[in-house]
Amino acid sequence: MGVLAFATAAGSAAAGQWRDGAELYQKVCGHCHEANVGPVLKGRGLPPEYIQRVVRMGNRAMPAFRPTEIDDATLADVARRISSGAALARE
Amino acid sequence: MGSKSKALPKGISAAEFDKAVREMRAIVGDEHVLVDEEKLAPYRKIMMPVPDAQHELSASVMPDGVEQIQRIMKVANKYRVPVYPISTGKNLGYGSAAPVQRGQIVMDLRRMNRILEVDPELCTALVEPGVTYQQLYDYLQEHKLPLWFSCPAPSAIAGPVGNMVDRGVGYTPYGEHFMFSCGMEVVLADGQVLRTGMGAMENSNTWQVFKWGYGPTLDGIFTQSNFGVVTKMGMWLMPAPPDFRPFCIQYPNETDITKIVEALRPLRIAMVIPNAVVIAHTLWEAPCTPVKRADYYTGPGAIPDEAVKKIQAEHNIGAWNVYAGLYGTKETNDANWKIIEAVAAGTGGKIITQEASKGSKALEYRFDLMKGKPNLGEFGLYNWRGGGGSIWFAPVSQAKGSETLKQMQMAKTILAKYGFDYVGEFIVGWRDMHHVIDLLYDRSKPEEMEKAYACYDELLHTFAKEGYGMYRANTAFAEKVAATYGPVKRDVEKRLKKALDPNNIIAPGRCGISL
Ligand SMILES: Cc1cc2nc3c(=O)[nH]c(=O)nc-3n(C[C@H](O)[C@H](O)[C@H](O)COP(=O)(O)OP(=O)(O)OC[C@H]3O[C@@H](n4cnc5c(N)ncnc54)[C@H](O)[C@@H]3O)c2cc1C
Repeated sequence: MGVLAFATAAGSAAAGQWRDGAELYQKVCGHCHEANVGPVLKGRGLPPEYIQRVVRMGNRAMPAFRPTEIDDATLADVARRISSGAALARE
Repeated sequence: MGSKSKALPKGISAAEFDKAVREMRAIVGDEHVLVDEEKLAPYRKIMMPVPDAQHELSASVMPDGVEQIQRIMKVANKYRVPVYPISTGKNLGYGSAAPVQRGQIVMDLRRMNRILEVDPELCTALVEPGVTYQQLYDYLQEHKLPLWFSCPAPSAIAGPVGNMVDRGVGYTPYGEHFMFSCGMEVVLADGQVLRTGMGAMENSNTWQVFKWGYGPTLDGIFTQSNFGVVTKMGMWLMPAPPDFRPFCIQYPNETDITKIVEALRPLRIAMVIPNAVVIAHTLWEAPCTPVKRADYYTGPGAIPDEAVKKIQAEHNIGAWNVYAGLYGTKETNDANWKIIEAVAAGTGGKIITQEASKGSKALEYRFDLMKGKPNLGEFGLYNWRGGGGSIWFAPVSQAKGSETLKQMQMAKTILAKYGFDYVGEFIVGWRDMHHVIDLLYDRSKPEEMEKAYACYDELLHTFAKEGYGMYRANTAFAEKVAATYGPVKRDVEKRLKKALDPNNIIAPGRCGISL
């Protein structure tokens, strides 16, 4: 009885792998933008549309992210949070 | 007949292409096929020194499930449209998520992100292509499973299947990733589903524990190739050791690489040091520390040696920085630590322990990678030259001091000729070294792009003349790199391609294989 088989362990809904923008920020964005690798984003009043665009297009060394990695809804949420300074840490 | 696609596959009419896309939409759902130029932007972003247009895709199809992939194969065969599979699609500096040839449809498997099975007793996992290392890490943490895996530097966003099929490397004792994979599921071009090794037997429970099966072992032909679409992969996990002791040994001179390699090789082969040791040059460590290039040099061309020396002195970075770890119990690590101390003392190296590593981002991310903890610390590299241009030049070397020095000097000379810095490291297998160089350039400047292309080309051919081949290569140079390996191998690959994919629909051109 050793095997843990969790067929839906990863969260079965394909695009719905992120709980919200805060989780995404912590698991992806923060690895660079909170680590002195990429520029700080918070507190600069960056427009949400701009953030969404850079995430999809990439920018110089910033990789582009596909909708299969970050769905539109989570992207909109993280952009709004970064832009408005809303909670980015995990509640 | 105006297809919306900007880059049709070679020889396919817009009408035929649109029919193929319509049939694919029927399989995966409308929203999981993209054709609009704007929507395809994330697939188009590359770091290689060739125009985006060369790797422009015609569409993206995003299946969820093996059965959908089988049906896509049928459509691709019917219309002869080439399909380029990616898993997590973060092959940055090797081609990113863009196809090897213009016009191919990218088949993005990122939605298939299930961790299907973890066996904590046998220490194995079975995962789908869309699983990221971060996801697997979180899963093991959440379930309180004391198991480690090995991951590459961009681990937070990349994944085990994509990395393994490109034969990538990591930094724990399981750092040679293909070696520690066990069992694959592959959808072939004709839609058949092959399970390799023991997985071929319907009722076997040994798929993830015994690699070879009966008869020829086929797994290898599905790596760095285009003979199938990998849909599941087994991987071995390592029990978290009771005591983990990462360290760095710094050396003051570039020519010290000779004695470093001579001193380390026996320890690595005997597995006193069990992990994939890294020997990193100053200019790899500096950007990740972080150090700003402009603070030391703003002139034209490659950074001069005096400036590099100054960086070493002011930031406590070695000319070479050896990263390794001891993985064991306190008792065994205490015993082996004495050997490490003696080797460092005997070769003039300075040991930096975990306690002494505080304050350097470079040491921090390296120590984390040696226990398979995902991060993106290495992206600091791109702040060095700026402009987002990068290709990896990655020849294989023997683990012999004289060879590594020779390769380093050859590379540094050619890079400098084109105005680029030597940003290199050696990753130690048992007996080989992956000599990995990040050719960093400013992709926003056309003349730098041309120089970077010419530089890689010269590196490739100069190294090949000396008998040094690549461990892996970017898609822009796939054909040229394949050519350095001679005609017989290529002929065999072509015959395999003809047998398994007679319509040439899976990633034609990948690793130089096409009909
Ligand atoms: C800063 C930095 C550091 C890096 N360090 C490392 C490192 O330490 N080690 C390392 O190995 N790499 C490294 N890389 C290179 C690269 O980013 C990683 O190897 C990454 O894991 C590859 O991307 P991926 O895992 O998303 O694979 P993918 O991009 O999904 O796949 C790679 C290729 O394999 C093929 N492929 C993928 N999936 C399938 C499938 N299911 N069936 C058939 N063919 C398939 C495709 O041709 C695809 O292009 C680094 C890159 C950067 C930018």
